[in-house]
Amino acid sequence: MKLLSYIRLAERTFLVTLFLTMVILFFGNVVAREIGGTFASKFAWIEEAVRFMNVFLVFIALGLALEQGRHVGIDTLRDRLPAKIRSVLLKIIDGVGFLFSIYLAWLGTGLVKFVLMTGQRSPTLDIPVGWVYSAPVIGFGLLALRFALSFFGIIDRFGSHETPAEAEH
Amino acid sequence: MLLLIIALAAVLLILGFEMFLVLGLPALATKEAFYGNIPDAAVVQKIFGGIDHTTLLAIPFFIFAAHLMGSGQIAKNLTGFVRSLVGHTRGGMGHTVIGGSMAFGSVSGSAPATVAAMGKMVYPEMRKNGFSEKFSLGLLVASAETALLIPPSITFIIYGWMTGTSIAKLFAGGLAVGLFLGLAFAIMVWIEAKRQGIEPDQKTTWSQRFASLREAKWALGMPFIILGGIYSGTITPTEAAAVSVVYAILVEMVVYRNFGFKDLVKITEQSAISTCVIFILLALGGLISFYVTLAQVPTQITDFLTAIDAGPIQFLLAVNVCFLIAGMFIDPNSALLILVPPLFPVAQAMGVDPVHFGMIVTLNISLGMITPPFGLDIFVASSTLNKPVLNIIKGVWPFVFVNILVLLVVTYVPQISLFIPQLIFG
Repeated sequence: MKLLSYIRLAERTFLVTLFLTMVILFFGNVVAREIGGTFASKFAWIEEAVRFMNVFLVFIALGLALEQGRHVGIDTLRDRLPAKIRSVLLKIIDGVGFLFSIYLAWLGTGLVKFVLMTGQRSPTLDIPVGWVYSAPVIGFGLLALRFALSFFGIIDRFGSHETPAEAEH
Repeated sequence: MLLLIIALAAVLLILGFEMFLVLGLPALATKEAFYGNIPDAAVVQKIFGGIDHTTLLAIPFFIFAAHLMGSGQIAKNLTGFVRSLVGHTRGGMGHTVIGGSMAFGSVSGSAPATVAAMGKMVYPEMRKNGFSEKFSLGLLVASAETALLIPPSITFIIYGWMTGTSIAKLFAGGLAVGLFLGLAFAIMVWIEAKRQGIEPDQKTTWSQRFASLREAKWALGMPFIILGGIYSGTITPTEAAAVSVVYAILVEMVVYRNFGFKDLVKITEQSAISTCVIFILLALGGLISFYVTLAQVPTQITDFLTAIDAGPIQFLLAVNVCFLIAGMFIDPNSALLILVPPLFPVAQAMGVDPVHFGMIVTLNISLGMITPPFGLDIFVASSTLNKPVLNIIKGVWPFVFVNILVLLVVTYVPQISLFIPQLIFG
Protein backbone atom coordinates (compact mmCIF):
# COMPACT_ATOMS: atom_id res chain seq x y z
CA MET A 1 0.00 0.00 0.00
CA LYS A 2 2.56 2.50 -1.09
CA LEU A 3 -0.13 4.76 -2.53
CA LEU A 4 -1.88 4.93 0.84
CA SER A 5 1.29 6.03 2.61
CA TYR A 6 1.76 8.76 0.00
CA ILE A 7 -1.79 9.97 0.61
CA ARG A 8 -1.11 9.95 4.34
CA LEU A 9 2.09 11.92 3.91
CA ALA A 10 0.28 14.44 1.71
CA GLU A 11 -2.54 14.84 4.25
CA ARG A 12 -0.13 15.31 7.16
CA THR A 13 2.11 17.79 5.36
CA PHE A 14 -0.93 19.72 4.22
CA LEU A 15 -2.50 19.85 7.71
CA VAL A 16 0.67 20.88 9.53
CA THR A 17 1.63 23.56 6.99
CA LEU A 18 -1.90 24.90 6.89
CA PHE A 19 -2.37 25.04 10.67
CA LEU A 20 0.95 26.78 11.32
CA THR A 21 0.20 29.26 8.53
CA MET A 22 -3.19 30.01 10.09
CA VAL A 23 -1.53 30.77 13.43
CA ILE A 24 1.12 33.01 11.87
CA LEU A 25 -1.40 34.91 9.75
CA PHE A 26 -3.89 35.49 12.55
CA PHE A 27 -1.17 36.46 15.01
CA GLY A 28 0.34 38.78 12.40
CA ASN A 29 -3.08 40.34 11.96
CA VAL A 30 -3.24 41.24 15.66
CA VAL A 31 0.28 42.67 15.61
CA ALA A 32 -0.47 44.67 12.46
CA ARG A 33 -3.59 46.14 14.03
CA GLU A 34 -1.73 47.16 17.18
CA ILE A 35 0.75 48.99 14.98
CA GLY A 36 -2.34 50.45 13.36
CA GLY A 37 -2.94 52.97 10.62
CA THR A 38 -3.02 52.23 6.93
CA PHE A 39 -0.58 49.40 7.53
CA ALA A 40 -3.29 47.30 9.18
CA SER A 41 -5.87 47.81 6.43
CA LYS A 42 -3.59 45.95 4.02
CA PHE A 43 -4.30 42.80 6.01
CA ALA A 44 -8.08 42.82 5.85
CA TRP A 45 -8.00 39.63 3.76
CA ILE A 46 -6.42 37.61 6.57
CA GLU A 47 -9.62 36.87 8.47
CA GLU A 48 -11.39 35.47 5.44
CA ALA A 49 -8.31 33.52 4.36
CA VAL A 50 -7.87 31.89 7.76
CA ARG A 51 -11.57 31.02 7.88
CA PHE A 52 -11.34 29.24 4.54
CA MET A 53 -8.10 27.54 5.60
CA ASN A 54 -9.81 26.27 8.73
CA VAL A 55 -12.56 24.73 6.61
CA PHE A 56 -9.92 22.88 4.59
CA LEU A 57 -8.15 21.86 7.81
CA VAL A 58 -11.33 20.28 9.15
CA PHE A 59 -12.30 18.37 6.02
CA ILE A 60 -8.83 17.17 5.03
CA ALA A 61 -8.32 15.73 8.55
CA LEU A 62 -11.53 13.64 8.38
CA GLY A 63 -9.86 10.56 6.90
CA LEU A 64 -6.84 10.57 9.20
CA ALA A 65 -9.09 11.02 12.22
CA LEU A 66 -11.08 7.95 11.21
CA GLU A 67 -7.97 5.89 10.57
CA GLN A 68 -6.57 6.76 14.00
CA GLY A 69 -9.87 5.98 15.73
CA ARG A 70 -10.26 9.57 16.92
CA HIS A 71 -13.88 10.30 16.01
CA VAL A 72 -16.15 10.25 19.05
CA GLY A 73 -18.78 7.58 19.52
CA ILE A 74 -20.01 5.20 22.18
CA ASP A 75 -18.01 2.02 21.75
CA THR A 76 -18.50 0.55 25.23
CA LEU A 77 -21.50 -1.57 24.29
CA ARG A 78 -20.24 -2.35 20.80
CA ASP A 79 -16.96 -3.70 22.14
CA ARG A 80 -18.68 -5.99 24.62
CA LEU A 81 -20.55 -7.90 21.94
CA PRO A 82 -19.43 -11.46 21.10
CA ALA A 83 -16.55 -11.34 18.60
CA LYS A 84 -18.58 -12.68 15.69
CA ILE A 85 -21.51 -10.25 16.02
CA ARG A 86 -19.10 -7.42 16.65
CA SER A 87 -17.16 -8.04 13.46
CA VAL A 88 -20.39 -8.09 11.43
CA LEU A 89 -21.50 -4.85 13.09
CA LEU A 90 -18.17 -3.19 12.33
CA LYS A 91 -18.57 -4.14 8.65
CA ILE A 92 -22.04 -2.61 8.66
CA ILE A 93 -20.71 0.61 10.21
CA ASP A 94 -17.95 0.78 7.59
CA GLY A 95 -20.40 0.11 4.78
CA VAL A 96 -22.93 2.70 5.94
CA GLY A 97 -20.14 5.20 6.60
CA PHE A 98 -18.83 4.67 3.08
CA LEU A 99 -22.23 5.31 1.48
CA PHE A 100 -22.75 8.38 3.69
CA SER A 101 -19.39 9.93 2.74
CA ILE A 102 -19.70 9.14 -0.97
CA TYR A 103 -23.21 10.61 -1.04
CA LEU A 104 -22.04 13.85 0.61
CA ALA A 105 -18.98 14.05 -1.67
CA TRP A 106 -21.33 13.67 -4.63
CA LEU A 107 -23.72 16.36 -3.34
CA GLY A 108 -20.67 18.57 -2.78
CA THR A 109 -19.55 18.15 -6.38
CA GLY A 110 -22.94 19.44 -7.48
CA LEU A 111 -22.52 22.47 -5.24
CA VAL A 112 -19.02 23.22 -6.55
CA LYS A 113 -20.26 23.08 -10.17
CA PHE A 114 -23.29 25.20 -9.38
CA VAL A 115 -21.38 27.93 -7.51
CA LEU A 116 -18.62 28.05 -10.12
CA MET A 117 -21.32 28.55 -12.74
CA THR A 118 -22.82 31.51 -10.84
CA GLY A 119 -19.32 33.01 -10.75
CA GLN A 120 -19.68 34.11 -7.10
CA ARG A 121 -16.44 35.56 -5.69
CA SER A 122 -15.45 35.94 -2.05
CA PRO A 123 -15.76 39.47 -0.56
CA THR A 124 -12.17 40.33 0.37
CA LEU A 125 -9.94 37.70 -1.22
CA ASP A 126 -11.85 37.89 -4.51
CA ILE A 127 -11.42 34.20 -5.34
CA PRO A 128 -14.18 32.01 -6.87
CA VAL A 129 -16.18 30.65 -3.92
CA GLY A 130 -16.84 27.43 -5.85
CA TRP A 131 -13.27 26.29 -5.25
CA VAL A 132 -13.64 26.77 -1.50
CA TYR A 133 -16.57 24.37 -1.60
CA SER A 134 -14.22 21.69 -2.92
CA ALA A 135 -13.01 21.19 0.69
CA PRO A 136 -15.98 19.01 1.71
CA VAL A 137 -15.77 17.10 -1.59
CA ILE A 138 -12.11 16.16 -1.05
CA GLY A 139 -12.64 15.58 2.67
CA PHE A 140 -15.62 13.26 2.33
CA GLY A 141 -13.74 11.51 -0.49
CA LEU A 142 -10.79 10.81 1.82
CA LEU A 143 -13.23 9.68 4.50
CA ALA A 144 -14.97 7.31 2.07
CA LEU A 145 -11.57 5.86 1.13
CA ARG A 146 -10.83 5.06 4.79
CA PHE A 147 -14.26 3.49 5.35
CA ALA A 148 -13.71 1.31 2.26
CA LEU A 149 -10.19 0.28 3.32
CA SER A 150 -11.48 -0.62 6.76
CA PHE A 151 -14.39 -2.57 5.24
CA PHE A 152 -11.95 -4.71 3.25
CA GLY A 153 -9.68 -5.12 6.28
CA ILE A 154 -6.73 -3.23 4.77
CA ILE A 155 -6.54 -0.80 7.68
CA ASP A 156 -7.46 -1.58 11.29
CA ARG A 157 -9.22 1.49 12.65
CA PHE A 158 -10.91 -0.30 15.54
CA GLY A 159 -7.81 -2.07 16.81
CA SER A 160 -5.11 -0.03 18.52
CA HIS A 161 -7.67 2.36 19.87
CA GLU A 162 -6.12 5.44 21.41
CA THR A 163 -7.87 6.64 24.53
CA PRO A 164 -8.97 10.28 24.52
CA ALA A 165 -6.37 10.90 27.24
CA GLU A 166 -3.47 9.80 25.09
CA ALA A 167 -4.99 11.53 22.15
CA GLU A 168 -4.93 14.82 24.01
CA HIS A 169 -1.15 14.84 23.94
CA MET B 1 -42.15 9.98 11.37
CA LEU B 2 -40.19 12.38 13.56
CA LEU B 3 -40.17 9.70 16.24
CA LEU B 4 -38.79 7.25 13.70
CA ILE B 5 -35.88 9.56 13.00
CA ILE B 6 -35.14 10.01 16.70
CA ALA B 7 -35.31 6.22 17.09
CA LEU B 8 -32.90 5.83 14.17
CA ALA B 9 -30.43 8.15 15.89
CA ALA B 10 -30.77 6.23 19.18
CA VAL B 11 -30.14 2.88 17.51
CA LEU B 12 -27.08 4.18 15.64
CA LEU B 13 -25.77 5.65 18.89
CA ILE B 14 -26.12 2.45 20.90
CA LEU B 15 -24.62 0.31 18.14
CA GLY B 16 -21.49 2.43 18.32
CA PHE B 17 -21.66 4.33 15.04
CA GLU B 18 -19.35 7.34 15.03
CA MET B 19 -21.14 10.41 16.42
CA PHE B 20 -20.96 12.27 13.12
CA LEU B 21 -22.91 9.41 11.53
CA VAL B 22 -25.39 9.46 14.42
CA LEU B 23 -26.02 13.14 13.63
CA GLY B 24 -25.61 12.96 9.86
CA LEU B 25 -27.68 9.95 8.82
CA PRO B 26 -30.90 11.06 10.56
CA ALA B 27 -30.36 14.56 9.14
CA LEU B 28 -30.19 13.14 5.61
CA ALA B 29 -33.20 10.93 6.34
CA THR B 30 -35.15 14.01 7.49
CA LYS B 31 -34.37 15.76 4.24
CA GLU B 32 -35.53 12.79 2.15
CA ALA B 33 -38.67 12.27 4.22
CA PHE B 34 -39.89 15.84 4.85
CA TYR B 35 -37.98 18.38 2.84
CA GLY B 36 -37.50 16.75 -0.57
CA ASN B 37 -38.01 20.15 -2.21
CA ILE B 38 -34.85 21.58 -0.64
CA PRO B 39 -32.13 21.47 -3.31
CA ASP B 40 -29.37 18.90 -2.72
CA ALA B 41 -26.68 21.54 -2.90
CA ALA B 42 -28.19 23.26 0.16
CA VAL B 43 -27.27 20.25 2.31
CA VAL B 44 -23.54 20.69 1.72
CA GLN B 45 -23.92 24.45 1.98
CA LYS B 46 -25.43 24.09 5.48
CA ILE B 47 -22.64 21.69 6.49
CA PHE B 48 -20.07 24.16 5.23
CA GLY B 49 -21.87 27.11 6.84
CA GLY B 50 -21.85 25.28 10.17
CA ILE B 51 -18.09 25.84 10.49
CA ASP B 52 -17.23 28.84 8.31
CA HIS B 53 -17.32 31.46 11.06
CA THR B 54 -14.66 33.72 12.60
CA THR B 55 -15.83 33.16 16.20
CA LEU B 56 -15.32 29.43 15.80
CA LEU B 57 -11.67 29.97 14.82
CA ALA B 58 -10.99 30.37 18.54
CA ILE B 59 -11.53 26.61 18.91
CA PRO B 60 -8.68 25.27 16.72
CA PHE B 61 -6.33 27.84 18.26
CA PHE B 62 -7.28 27.02 21.85
CA ILE B 63 -7.00 23.29 21.09
CA PHE B 64 -3.56 23.86 19.61
CA ALA B 65 -2.42 25.90 22.62
CA ALA B 66 -3.78 23.24 24.99
CA HIS B 67 -1.90 20.47 23.17
CA LEU B 68 1.27 22.53 23.37
CA MET B 69 0.83 23.38 27.05
CA GLY B 70 -0.36 19.87 27.92
CA SER B 71 3.14 18.70 28.81
CA GLY B 72 3.91 17.53 32.33
CA GLN B 73 6.12 20.54 32.99
CA ILE B 74 3.33 23.12 32.98
CA ALA B 75 0.89 20.99 34.94
CA LYS B 76 3.62 20.23 37.49
CA ASN B 77 4.57 23.88 37.95
CA LEU B 78 0.97 25.00 38.32
CA THR B 79 0.17 22.26 40.82
CA GLY B 80 3.35 23.05 42.76
CA PHE B 81 2.29 26.66 43.01
CA VAL B 82 -1.23 25.82 44.15
CA ARG B 83 0.14 23.37 46.70
CA SER B 84 2.43 25.99 48.18
CA LEU B 85 -0.65 28.18 48.69
CA VAL B 86 -3.17 25.70 50.12
CA GLY B 87 -1.16 22.61 51.05
CA HIS B 88 -1.02 23.48 54.75
CA THR B 89 -4.81 23.58 55.22
CA ARG B 90 -6.89 20.63 56.39
CA GLY B 91 -7.09 18.14 53.51
CA GLY B 92 -4.50 20.28 51.73
CA MET B 93 -3.69 17.74 49.03
CA GLY B 94 -7.40 17.52 48.15
CA HIS B 95 -7.59 21.30 47.77
CA THR B 96 -4.46 21.14 45.66
CA VAL B 97 -6.22 18.77 43.26
CA ILE B 98 -9.15 21.18 42.92
CA GLY B 99 -6.98 24.28 42.57
CA GLY B 100 -4.54 22.54 40.26
CA SER B 101 -7.37 21.39 37.98
CA MET B 102 -8.72 24.94 37.84
CA ALA B 103 -5.30 26.38 37.08
CA PHE B 104 -4.72 23.78 34.40
CA GLY B 105 -8.21 24.42 33.04
CA SER B 106 -7.32 28.07 32.64
CA VAL B 107 -4.55 26.93 30.32
CA SER B 108 -6.20 24.07 28.48
CA GLY B 109 -9.99 24.20 28.63
CA SER B 110 -10.43 20.47 28.15
CA ALA B 111 -11.71 18.28 30.99
CA PRO B 112 -10.29 14.97 29.69
CA ALA B 113 -6.89 16.63 29.20
CA THR B 114 -7.07 17.88 32.78
CA VAL B 115 -7.89 14.43 34.16
CA ALA B 116 -4.99 12.98 32.19
CA ALA B 117 -2.49 15.67 33.19
CA MET B 118 -3.45 15.79 36.88
CA GLY B 119 -4.16 12.10 37.37
CA LYS B 120 -0.68 10.59 37.38
CA MET B 121 0.75 13.50 39.33
CA VAL B 122 -1.65 14.03 42.21
CA TYR B 123 -3.32 10.65 42.73
CA PRO B 124 -0.31 9.03 44.47
CA GLU B 125 0.12 12.16 46.62
CA MET B 126 -3.49 12.06 47.76
CA ARG B 127 -3.17 8.43 48.74
CA LYS B 128 0.04 9.22 50.64
CA ASN B 129 -1.87 11.96 52.45
CA GLY B 130 -4.34 9.36 53.71
CA PHE B 131 -7.33 9.89 51.41
CA SER B 132 -9.12 6.67 50.42
CA GLU B 133 -8.82 5.32 46.88
CA LYS B 134 -12.53 5.90 46.29
CA PHE B 135 -12.49 9.53 47.40
CA SER B 136 -9.24 10.36 45.58
CA LEU B 137 -10.51 8.99 42.27
CA GLY B 138 -13.86 10.71 42.62
CA LEU B 139 -12.28 14.06 43.46
CA LEU B 140 -9.82 13.84 40.59
CA VAL B 141 -12.53 13.17 38.01
CA ALA B 142 -14.94 15.73 39.43
CA SER B 143 -12.38 18.54 39.77
CA ALA B 144 -11.54 18.27 36.09
CA GLU B 145 -15.03 19.54 35.36
CA THR B 146 -13.99 23.02 36.41
CA ALA B 147 -11.81 23.10 33.27
CA LEU B 148 -14.95 23.42 31.15
CA LEU B 149 -16.15 26.37 33.20
CA ILE B 150 -12.93 28.29 33.82
CA PRO B 151 -12.03 30.26 30.67
CA PRO B 152 -10.95 29.52 28.01
CA SER B 153 -13.73 27.01 27.50
CA ILE B 154 -14.54 25.50 24.12
CA THR B 155 -18.05 24.73 25.31
CA PHE B 156 -18.71 28.45 25.88
CA ILE B 157 -17.33 29.33 22.46
CA ILE B 158 -19.69 26.88 20.76
CA TYR B 159 -22.64 28.03 22.87
CA GLY B 160 -21.81 31.68 22.22
CA TRP B 161 -21.59 31.09 18.50
CA MET B 162 -24.87 29.15 18.38
CA THR B 163 -26.85 31.70 20.37
CA GLY B 164 -25.08 34.96 19.55
CA THR B 165 -24.16 35.49 23.21
CA SER B 166 -20.97 37.44 23.98
CA ILE B 167 -18.14 35.01 24.59
CA ALA B 168 -16.35 37.51 26.84
CA LYS B 169 -19.45 37.62 29.09
CA LEU B 170 -19.74 33.82 29.07
CA PHE B 171 -16.09 33.51 30.10
CA ALA B 172 -16.68 35.96 32.96
CA GLY B 173 -19.75 34.06 34.15
CA GLY B 174 -17.92 30.76 33.85
CA LEU B 175 -15.18 32.01 36.14
CA ALA B 176 -17.72 32.58 38.92
CA VAL B 177 -19.58 29.30 38.38
CA GLY B 178 -16.28 27.38 38.15
CA LEU B 179 -15.07 28.88 41.42
CA PHE B 180 -18.42 28.12 43.05
CA LEU B 181 -18.22 24.48 41.98
CA GLY B 182 -14.61 24.27 43.19
CA LEU B 183 -15.68 25.70 46.54
CA ALA B 184 -18.39 23.06 46.90
CA PHE B 185 -15.83 20.31 46.26
CA ALA B 186 -13.41 21.96 48.71
CA ILE B 187 -16.06 21.69 51.44
CA MET B 188 -16.37 17.98 50.67
CA VAL B 189 -12.58 17.60 50.97
CA TRP B 190 -12.61 19.43 54.30
CA ILE B 191 -15.36 17.19 55.70
CA GLU B 192 -13.66 14.03 54.42
CA ALA B 193 -10.30 15.11 55.86
CA LYS B 194 -11.92 15.77 59.22
CA ARG B 195 -13.70 12.40 59.20
CA GLN B 196 -10.55 10.48 58.27
CA GLY B 197 -8.34 12.49 60.62
CA ILE B 198 -5.99 13.56 57.82
CA GLU B 199 -3.24 15.84 59.10
CA PRO B 200 -2.38 19.04 57.21
CA ASP B 201 0.99 19.46 55.48
CA GLN B 202 3.60 21.65 57.10
CA LYS B 203 3.16 25.35 56.57
CA THR B 204 5.00 26.67 53.54
CA THR B 205 7.12 29.76 54.01
CA TRP B 206 6.64 32.82 51.84
CA SER B 207 10.04 32.37 50.26
CA GLN B 208 9.02 28.85 49.18
CA ARG B 209 5.83 30.30 47.77
CA PHE B 210 7.72 32.86 45.74
CA ALA B 211 10.03 30.15 44.49
CA SER B 212 7.10 28.09 43.18
CA LEU B 213 5.48 31.23 41.77
CA ARG B 214 8.67 31.84 39.80
CA GLU B 215 8.56 28.30 38.48
CA ALA B 216 4.94 28.67 37.44
CA LYS B 217 5.19 32.19 36.03
CA TRP B 218 5.33 31.15 32.36
CA ALA B 219 2.28 28.93 32.74
CA LEU B 220 0.43 31.67 34.62
CA GLY B 221 1.19 34.06 31.77
CA MET B 222 -1.33 32.20 29.62
CA PRO B 223 -4.53 33.07 31.55
CA PHE B 224 -3.08 36.54 32.01
CA ILE B 225 -2.82 37.06 28.25
CA ILE B 226 -6.19 35.52 27.51
CA LEU B 227 -8.26 37.19 30.23
CA GLY B 228 -6.26 40.41 30.34
CA GLY B 229 -6.38 40.74 26.57
CA ILE B 230 -10.09 40.08 26.28
CA TYR B 231 -11.27 42.21 29.21
CA SER B 232 -9.06 45.17 28.47
CA GLY B 233 -10.78 45.19 25.09
CA THR B 234 -7.47 44.89 23.23
CA ILE B 235 -8.25 41.61 21.47
CA THR B 236 -11.24 39.41 20.70
CA PRO B 237 -11.45 35.88 22.13
CA THR B 238 -10.45 34.47 18.72
CA GLU B 239 -7.38 36.70 18.59
CA ALA B 240 -6.52 35.80 22.18
CA ALA B 241 -6.58 32.16 21.11
CA ALA B 242 -4.14 32.80 18.25
CA VAL B 243 -1.84 34.80 20.52
CA SER B 244 -1.90 32.01 23.12
CA VAL B 245 -0.66 29.52 20.50
CA VAL B 246 2.35 31.70 19.69
CA TYR B 247 2.94 32.18 23.42
CA ALA B 248 2.73 28.43 24.08
CA ILE B 249 5.21 27.68 21.28
CA LEU B 250 7.64 30.26 22.67
CA VAL B 251 7.34 28.99 26.26
CA GLU B 252 7.65 25.31 25.38
CA MET B 253 10.29 25.55 22.68
CA VAL B 254 12.39 28.52 23.74
CA VAL B 255 11.99 28.88 27.51
CA TYR B 256 11.55 25.29 28.71
CA ARG B 257 13.11 23.63 25.65
CA ASN B 258 10.63 20.80 26.15
CA PHE B 259 10.55 19.87 22.50
CA GLY B 260 12.00 20.57 19.10
CA PHE B 261 10.66 21.10 15.62
CA LYS B 262 9.83 17.43 15.07
CA ASP B 263 7.59 17.36 18.14
CA LEU B 264 5.97 20.60 17.02
CA VAL B 265 4.99 18.92 13.75
CA LYS B 266 3.51 15.96 15.62
CA ILE B 267 1.58 18.18 18.03
CA THR B 268 0.30 20.31 15.15
CA GLU B 269 -1.01 17.24 13.36
CA GLN B 270 -2.72 15.92 16.49
CA SER B 271 -4.27 19.35 17.14
CA ALA B 272 -5.56 19.44 13.58
CA ILE B 273 -7.20 16.06 14.07
CA SER B 274 -8.74 17.11 17.41
CA THR B 275 -10.11 20.18 15.65
CA CYS B 276 -11.58 18.03 12.91
CA VAL B 277 -13.29 15.75 15.42
CA ILE B 278 -15.15 18.68 17.01
CA PHE B 279 -15.83 20.59 13.80
CA ILE B 280 -17.35 17.73 11.85
CA LEU B 281 -19.97 17.61 14.63
CA LEU B 282 -20.46 21.38 14.36
CA ALA B 283 -20.80 21.03 10.59
CA LEU B 284 -23.53 18.40 10.79
CA GLY B 285 -25.06 20.30 13.71
CA GLY B 286 -25.48 23.20 11.27
CA LEU B 287 -27.66 20.92 9.16
CA ILE B 288 -29.73 19.73 12.11
CA SER B 289 -30.43 23.18 13.53
CA PHE B 290 -31.60 24.21 10.06
CA TYR B 291 -34.31 21.52 10.22
CA VAL B 292 -35.13 22.38 13.84
CA THR B 293 -35.84 25.94 12.72
CA LEU B 294 -37.82 24.83 9.68
CA ALA B 295 -39.98 22.51 11.78
CA GLN B 296 -40.58 25.37 14.27
CA VAL B 297 -39.68 23.14 17.18
CA PRO B 298 -39.03 26.05 19.60
CA THR B 299 -42.51 27.49 18.94
CA GLN B 300 -44.05 24.10 19.58
CA ILE B 301 -42.20 23.76 22.88
CA THR B 302 -43.25 27.26 23.95
CA ASP B 303 -46.87 26.52 23.03
CA PHE B 304 -46.76 23.31 25.00
CA LEU B 305 -45.27 25.05 28.05
CA THR B 306 -47.91 27.79 27.87
CA ALA B 307 -50.62 25.17 27.57
CA ILE B 308 -49.53 23.41 30.76
CA ASP B 309 -48.99 26.77 32.43
CA ALA B 310 -45.27 26.23 33.14
CA GLY B 311 -43.08 29.18 34.06
CA PRO B 312 -39.29 29.65 33.89
CA ILE B 313 -38.79 27.57 37.05
CA GLN B 314 -40.42 24.46 35.62
CA PHE B 315 -38.82 25.08 32.24
CA LEU B 316 -35.29 25.28 33.68
CA LEU B 317 -35.90 22.13 35.69
CA ALA B 318 -36.92 20.37 32.47
CA VAL B 319 -33.80 21.74 30.77
CA ASN B 320 -31.65 20.29 33.52
CA VAL B 321 -33.26 16.88 33.23
CA CYS B 322 -32.90 16.85 29.41
CA PHE B 323 -29.22 17.80 29.49
CA LEU B 324 -28.42 15.47 32.35
CA ILE B 325 -29.86 12.50 30.51
CA ALA B 326 -28.22 13.53 27.23
CA GLY B 327 -24.90 14.09 28.99
CA MET B 328 -24.93 10.57 30.39
CA PHE B 329 -24.93 9.12 26.90
CA ILE B 330 -23.50 11.51 24.35
CA ASP B 331 -20.44 13.75 24.23
CA PRO B 332 -20.73 17.38 25.42
CA ASN B 333 -20.47 19.01 22.01
CA SER B 334 -23.16 16.83 20.45
CA ALA B 335 -25.45 17.49 23.41
CA LEU B 336 -25.04 21.24 22.83
CA LEU B 337 -25.65 20.94 19.10
CA ILE B 338 -28.80 18.91 19.49
CA LEU B 339 -30.43 20.59 22.48
CA VAL B 340 -29.50 24.27 22.32
CA PRO B 341 -31.21 25.16 18.99
CA PRO B 342 -34.67 24.04 20.15
CA LEU B 343 -34.34 25.17 23.79
CA PHE B 344 -32.55 28.52 23.59
CA PRO B 345 -35.40 30.43 21.86
CA VAL B 346 -37.76 29.08 24.50
CA ALA B 347 -35.44 30.28 27.27
CA GLN B 348 -35.39 33.72 25.67
CA ALA B 349 -39.16 33.78 25.41
CA MET B 350 -39.28 32.96 29.14
CA GLY B 351 -36.96 35.84 29.92
CA VAL B 352 -33.95 33.75 31.00
CA ASP B 353 -30.68 35.66 30.58
CA PRO B 354 -28.57 34.16 27.73
CA VAL B 355 -25.42 34.15 29.89
CA HIS B 356 -27.28 32.49 32.77
CA PHE B 357 -28.73 29.89 30.41
CA GLY B 358 -25.22 29.24 29.08
CA MET B 359 -23.98 28.55 32.62
CA ILE B 360 -26.82 26.10 33.27
CA VAL B 361 -26.18 24.32 29.99
CA THR B 362 -22.41 24.11 30.47
CA LEU B 363 -22.62 23.00 34.09
CA ASN B 364 -25.02 20.29 32.97
CA ILE B 365 -22.65 19.18 30.27
CA SER B 366 -19.70 19.00 32.61
CA LEU B 367 -21.84 17.04 35.05
CA GLY B 368 -22.62 14.65 32.20
CA MET B 369 -18.90 14.04 31.71
CA ILE B 370 -18.55 12.54 35.20
CA THR B 371 -21.92 10.80 35.35
CA PRO B 372 -21.89 7.01 35.04
CA PRO B 373 -22.26 4.94 32.92
CA PHE B 374 -20.72 6.79 29.95
CA GLY B 375 -19.13 9.93 31.44
CA LEU B 376 -16.02 10.43 29.33
CA ASP B 377 -13.80 11.58 32.21
CA ILE B 378 -14.42 8.32 34.07
CA PHE B 379 -12.89 6.37 31.20
CA VAL B 380 -9.99 8.77 30.83
CA ALA B 381 -9.17 8.43 34.53
CA SER B 382 -9.49 4.67 34.28
CA SER B 383 -6.98 4.49 31.43
CA THR B 384 -4.45 7.02 32.81
CA LEU B 385 -4.42 5.55 36.30
CA ASN B 386 -4.99 1.91 35.40
CA LYS B 387 -7.93 1.61 37.78
CA PRO B 388 -11.08 -0.38 37.02
CA VAL B 389 -13.96 1.78 35.82
CA LEU B 390 -16.16 0.41 38.61
CA ASN B 391 -13.86 1.75 41.36
CA ILE B 392 -14.02 5.21 39.86
CA ILE B 393 -17.78 5.05 39.52
CA LYS B 394 -18.06 4.17 43.22
CA GLY B 395 -15.98 7.19 44.16
CA VAL B 396 -17.69 9.64 41.85
CA TRP B 397 -21.30 9.31 43.12
CA PRO B 398 -21.00 11.69 46.09
CA PHE B 399 -19.52 14.29 43.75
CA VAL B 400 -22.32 13.82 41.23
CA PHE B 401 -24.78 14.43 44.05
CA VAL B 402 -23.07 17.62 45.27
CA ASN B 403 -22.77 18.73 41.66
CA ILE B 404 -26.52 18.40 41.19
CA LEU B 405 -27.04 20.60 44.26
CA VAL B 406 -24.65 23.18 42.79
CA LEU B 407 -26.53 22.97 39.50
CA LEU B 408 -29.84 23.68 41.23
CA VAL B 409 -28.38 26.66 43.08
CA VAL B 410 -26.87 28.05 39.87
CA THR B 411 -30.17 27.47 38.08
CA TYR B 412 -32.31 29.30 40.60
CA VAL B 413 -29.87 32.00 41.73
CA PRO B 414 -28.99 33.80 38.48
CA GLN B 415 -26.81 36.30 40.36
CA ILE B 416 -24.04 33.71 40.72
CA SER B 417 -23.70 33.51 36.95
CA LEU B 418 -24.25 37.17 36.31
CA PHE B 419 -22.39 39.19 38.94
CA ILE B 420 -18.94 39.08 37.34
CA PRO B 421 -20.21 39.88 33.81
CA GLN B 422 -22.24 42.75 35.31
CA LEU B 423 -19.21 43.97 37.25
CA ILE B 424 -17.13 44.09 34.07
CA PHE B 425 -19.68 45.11 31.48
CA GLY B 426 -22.12 47.04 33.69
